[in-house]
Amino acid sequence: MTATVTRPAPPRKPRPARRGISRETRELWVLMLPAMVPVLLFSVGPLLYGIGLAFTDARNTRVHETEFVGLENFTRLLGDEDFWASFQIGAIWSVSVTVLQFLAALGLALLLNEKLRFSGLARVLSVVPWAMPPVVIGLMWKLVYHPDAGVLNGLLGTDINWLADFSLALPAIIVVGIWAGMPQTTVVLLAGLQNVPKELYEAGAMDGAGTWRRFWNITLPQLRPVIVAITSLDFVWNINQFGLVYVLTQGGPGGRTRLPMLFAYEEAFRYRMAGYASMLGLAMAIVVLAVLGLYLWRQMREAK
Amino acid sequence: MRIKSALAAAAILTLTAACGGGGGESPSSSGGPVKIDFLSLAWQKDSVAANKQLVEEWNKANPNIQVTYVQGSWDNVNDQLVTQFAGGTAPDVIHNDSPALSGFASDGYLLDLKDRLPAELKNDIPQAAWDTTTFDDGKGGQGVYGVPFLQESQVIIANKKLLDESGVRVPTPDDPWTWDEFSAAAKKMTTQRVVPGSGDGEDAMGQGYGVAWPMKSPVNKTLNLALNFGGTFFQTSGGKTTVKVGPEEREVLQRIHDQLHKDKSADPAALGQGTADPLPAFYQGKFALLPAGVYLRQQVVEQAPDGFEWVTLPAPKGTSAQQGAVSQTLSIAQESEHPEEAMKFIAFFLNGANQAKLAKGDWLLPTSKTAAADPAMTTKENGWDVATASAKNLVVAPFLKVNGFDEWKSKVATPVLQEYFANKITLDEAAKRLVEDGNEVLERYQR
Repeated sequence: MTATVTRPAPPRKPRPARRGISRETRELWVLMLPAMVPVLLFSVGPLLYGIGLAFTDARNTRVHETEFVGLENFTRLLGDEDFWASFQIGAIWSVSVTVLQFLAALGLALLLNEKLRFSGLARVLSVVPWAMPPVVIGLMWKLVYHPDAGVLNGLLGTDINWLADFSLALPAIIVVGIWAGMPQTTVVLLAGLQNVPKELYEAGAMDGAGTWRRFWNITLPQLRPVIVAITSLDFVWNINQFGLVYVLTQGGPGGRTRLPMLFAYEEAFRYRMAGYASMLGLAMAIVVLAVLGLYLWRQMREAK
Repeated sequence: MRIKSALAAAAILTLTAACGGGGGESPSSSGGPVKIDFLSLAWQKDSVAANKQLVEEWNKANPNIQVTYVQGSWDNVNDQLVTQFAGGTAPDVIHNDSPALSGFASDGYLLDLKDRLPAELKNDIPQAAWDTTTFDDGKGGQGVYGVPFLQESQVIIANKKLLDESGVRVPTPDDPWTWDEFSAAAKKMTTQRVVPGSGDGEDAMGQGYGVAWPMKSPVNKTLNLALNFGGTFFQTSGGKTTVKVGPEEREVLQRIHDQLHKDKSADPAALGQGTADPLPAFYQGKFALLPAGVYLRQQVVEQAPDGFEWVTLPAPKGTSAQQGAVSQTLSIAQESEHPEEAMKFIAFFLNGANQAKLAKGDWLLPTSKTAAADPAMTTKENGWDVATASAKNLVVAPFLKVNGFDEWKSKVATPVLQEYFANKITLDEAAKRLVEDGNEVLERYQR
C-alpha cells in the first residue's frame, strides 16, 4: 500500500498556487501517511470509540442493546461517592508522588553532578529501577512489605501488614511510586544541570554568593524549563498509573488505594459497565488536560 | 487515557487468543479432529497434575475430539472471561465457580445445559448441587449454566496438642460445637504459653490465642457461616432483591467480633491476612484453632513441621449447622462451535471416578455421589471423614442468585466487614452501610 501511495503523482499541468493546496503540502501529507496510519488506527480510532461509548449505556454483555443516553453517565459520575473518593485518592497519590519524586530526584541529581568518586557507577545504578517493568517493581515491593517475611518488618522489628492496613496502604504505595519514577526524573534533571553554564557559578562566586544562594538564584532559574517539562510529564504518568498499584493492592484494602484508573478498570471488566467506564476515562483525561493546560499556560506567560 | 490502553490490551488478547486457538476452529466436516479449548483454574500441584492427566487420557481415547488444556488463574479469571467473551474468543469449556456464573449467564455468554446433560451425570450429582448453578435464563425460565463438581465447606483446623491440653470436649460431625462452646473453647485456649521463635528466634513465653480469623476477604466466609443462624443477607420480593441485616445476620458477625475484641481470644495479627497467611503462626502454636475451607488441609499436610499434630473439626452450629455452598463448575461458552463434543468431554471429566481424583487433588468435596463414596474420601487420615461429612450441611448460598453480588461484595461488603472486624465501626453502622449502600449497588442491576 505504501508503495502505491508514495509513487510520484503523474505529471500534470502546474496549477496556480492560489487554487488550493500547494504541491509541497500535498507531498508532505503523502510522506506522512505511513506514519499516520498506525496512529489513526491504534490511537485516535480507539480514543474516538471510547469517547463515543461514554455517551451510551454500553455493557459488556451479549444480550444488551446499547443505546445512546446522552449525559446520563456524566450526571451519574457527579453523584457517585465512590468516584469522588477514588478521585481524591488519585489526587493525593499523583500530587504527593510527583512532588516528592521531584525533590528526591533533584537531590540525587545534584549529588550525581558533583565530581565524586564512582559517580559514573552511581549514575548507572540510579537508573536501574527504570529498567524494570511496573509489574516486576510491584512484585518486588510486595516482598519488601510482606507482613511475615518482608524486609521492612525485619529491619524495623515491627509486625505490620503494610499493604492491608487502612491508613498505611496509601503512604506505602506512594513510597513505591516515588521509587519507581525517580530514575527518569533524575536523569532529566541531571542533563539539565550539566547544561547550566559554569560561568554563571563563577560569576556568582566572585560576587560572594554562598552555595545556597547560587542554588537558589542560578541553578533553579536555569533548570526551570526542564523542571516544568518533567514535572508535568510525571504528573500525567502518575495520575494514569495502573499496573504498579494493581499488582500491589488491587485497590484495597476497602478501596483505600483505588486510583481512578483502577476504578475505571473495575467498572469495565468486573462490573461490565463499559459505557460508564468510558465516561470515567474521559473525565480523567479532561482533568489531566485542564491541570496541565493551566500549568503550561502560566509558565508560558511568565516566560514571556 | 487508560481506557485506550485497556482497549489495546483487549485487542492484543484477542489477537493472541485467536492465534492460539486459530488452528482449532476448523469445522469437523473437513475431516480433522474437533478441537476444544479447556480453561482450567487448577492451581495446587496435585490438582494440576490430575487435570492434565485426565485431559491426556481423554485425548488418547478420543482421537476425533482433541482437548487443549489452557491454564487460567482464579485471580483474574473473570476479567479475562469478560474480555474474551466480548472478543468472541472464549474457550469452549470453562472452569469457574458458581458465584460468577449468575452474571455470565444473565449476560447470555453461557450455554444452557439443561437439555444437554447425559442422564448418568445428572443423576450422579444431587439436586442441591445443581441448584448452585441454576439461574434465570433471562426469558422467564430457569437454566443450568454449569456442572458443579467440587464444593468447599468450612471446617476448623486445630492444633491437637493445644486442644487436648485445654480439656474441652472434642466435637464430632454428629455433635459439633455450638457457637457458645466454640467461643468458650477459644477462650480456654487463650493462655500465656511457650511459643517457639517468639522472642528473637528463641523460645519464649508469649501470648497464645484460641483462634485466628484471617479476614482479608471476609465476605464469602462470613456469609456462608451466617446461615448457621438463618442469616441470608438478601431478600427478594416482587422481583426486587434488597439487602437485609437483621438479628439473624448479626449473630455470626457479633460472635466473631466478640472473639476479636471482647474475649480477646482471637489473634489480632491474623485479622488482615489472607486465609493461608497465618499458617506459620499456627504451626508455632500461637493460636490453636483456624476456621478455614477444607482445602487448606492440603497446605497443612505439605508444610507443617515434622511432629506437628493437627485434627480437622466440624464447623460450629447455631440454630442449624447449615453452611452456604459454593461450587466449582464447568460451563460451555454460548459461542462454542462444538457444544456437543464439549459436553461429552465434561461428562467424562466429571464422572464419579474422575471427580474423586480431582477432589483429592484439590482437597475439596466432590459433588458426585459415587465419588463421595470412594474410600479415599472417607478415610480418617488428614480429616477426610470430617470434611466429607460436612457436605451434608451444604445448602445453596442465597447470594448466588443475586445479580450484582460481586459488586456489592467488593465495593460495599468487603470494606464494611473489614472495618467492622477491625473495630473501626459499630455493628449498627456496618449494618446500615451494608443495606443502604448495598441497595444502591443492586439498583443498577435491576433496571
